[in-house]
Amino acid sequence: MHYVIIGGGIAGTTAAEELRKLDPDSEITLISEEYHALYSRVLLPHYIKGKIPRERVFLKKSGGAGSGSAGESWYEEQKIEWLTGEIVLRVDTKNKFVELLSGREVEYDKLLIASGVEVKLMEQDLPGLSYLRTLDDADHLVELLRALPKDAKVGIYGGGFIASEYLNIFHEANLQTTIAYRGSHMWSRGLSKEAGELIKNQLVQSGIVVLENAKEIEFLGDKKIEAFLTNGQTHPCDLMGLGVGVAPHFSFLKDSGIEVNQGIIANQFLETNVQDIFVAGDVAEYFDERYGRHLHVASWMNAQMQGRCVAKNMFGEKVSFDLVSSYAMDIVGIDVIFIGDVSRSDADETKMIGSVNDGGVTEFFIRKNQIVGAILVGRNGDRKAVTELIRQKATGAEVEALLV
Amino acid sequence: MPRIKVKVDEDLCIGAASCVTIAPDTFQMNNENKAYVLDHGTEPDGSKYERWMEVTEAQMENILLGAQSCPTLAVYIYDEAGKQLFPDM
Repeated sequence: MHYVIIGGGIAGTTAAEELRKLDPDSEITLISEEYHALYSRVLLPHYIKGKIPRERVFLKKSGGAGSGSAGESWYEEQKIEWLTGEIVLRVDTKNKFVELLSGREVEYDKLLIASGVEVKLMEQDLPGLSYLRTLDDADHLVELLRALPKDAKVGIYGGGFIASEYLNIFHEANLQTTIAYRGSHMWSRGLSKEAGELIKNQLVQSGIVVLENAKEIEFLGDKKIEAFLTNGQTHPCDLMGLGVGVAPHFSFLKDSGIEVNQGIIANQFLETNVQDIFVAGDVAEYFDERYGRHLHVASWMNAQMQGRCVAKNMFGEKVSFDLVSSYAMDIVGIDVIFIGDVSRSDADETKMIGSVNDGGVTEFFIRKNQIVGAILVGRNGDRKAVTELIRQKATGAEVEALLV
Repeated sequence: MPRIKVKVDEDLCIGAASCVTIAPDTFQMNNENKAYVLDHGTEPDGSKYERWMEVTEAQMENILLGAQSCPTLAVYIYDEAGKQLFPDM
């Protein structure tokens, strides 16, 4: 049996590790675009802030003394063929092989696509612009931060998770920060007006300048960024963090017959519509039985758990993916927690506890009279109870009881 | 039954709660949105970031899975002699 995995991130690597446990004699090939051994993207901000040394971001430690500290020899120990710096050109689903840019063709019996997401890039490029997804991006940002002049001014463009990471990094470094985003508040499509206001208040109290409704932006500068222009105003800036979104990476599936939408479509077993081809992680748009619809979730926890689950299914067990996933982050002192299915457009109604004046709001997402998700801003204390309600498929009425 | 020490580094914890999802008898979240450690669902001497406990092999395996799932490797596990079992040194 030859398992081939496209994507060396947490979903793909977890699947490889799990497959090795389940099927000790199988052949496993892991195709990675990056050259680094598995590392934690979630640890990158800690590394950038100097809270941990760089080598701590690597997650796989090798057995023998003197072996690669970044975990390169782990792959060999696990008998996983690890191809680095390889770009997948296409998948031939009829003849069952993957074609690589290097010219090599890798035949598979079972294929896992865990190719993740790609960062959306701005049209303009200029030294001093920073993106944040990979370890190389993090190294680049560390260099940019070191090279900043005294009394530097920094900017951020974006209103989501990556923008929030930049906020924390710049705040930690005591840099004069201006953030601009397209919406009327952070996560303008995802968060309520009240939640947006709470976060904005926290930013302003922290001395951060907030520019809203910044639909367009232009970066000014000759050899490097010197300022950015938005809504007719110029803002001096020595470094600009960009977080304008990500898109699932599956362009190599063109003409493969594999069904795609926002992500690659899969059922609850993480199987695609093509036999022997599976999907996991940020690239998957899988059917979630709990919520009764296809979900696209891009988070570490989701990717890792799917990696584990998909391996079992590739091995031949039938295991539905079932996880009430969550994503939490502290944005310069206020906690924002997303739990379960928090798609506003898919919800029939939402209900809110708390208020801006109280310093926190929890908003419940209800569909077909079932609680499917919640967003907590400044109300961590609700987390356990809310997760339990979603897990137990509680009804809207049970939220009503909480509201009293 | 093995006796182990489980510890959460509160400075590293970002509240992802994957440990809670996998091993809720050992980890829960507090109001600071940090994971703290329980002994089989109980909290003798109140909420703590580290605790000794006796576990079966199956429980041990599950706590280890919880620790491995942490995206910031904030969960440490030690054996009775104080040797660090996870993360691997």
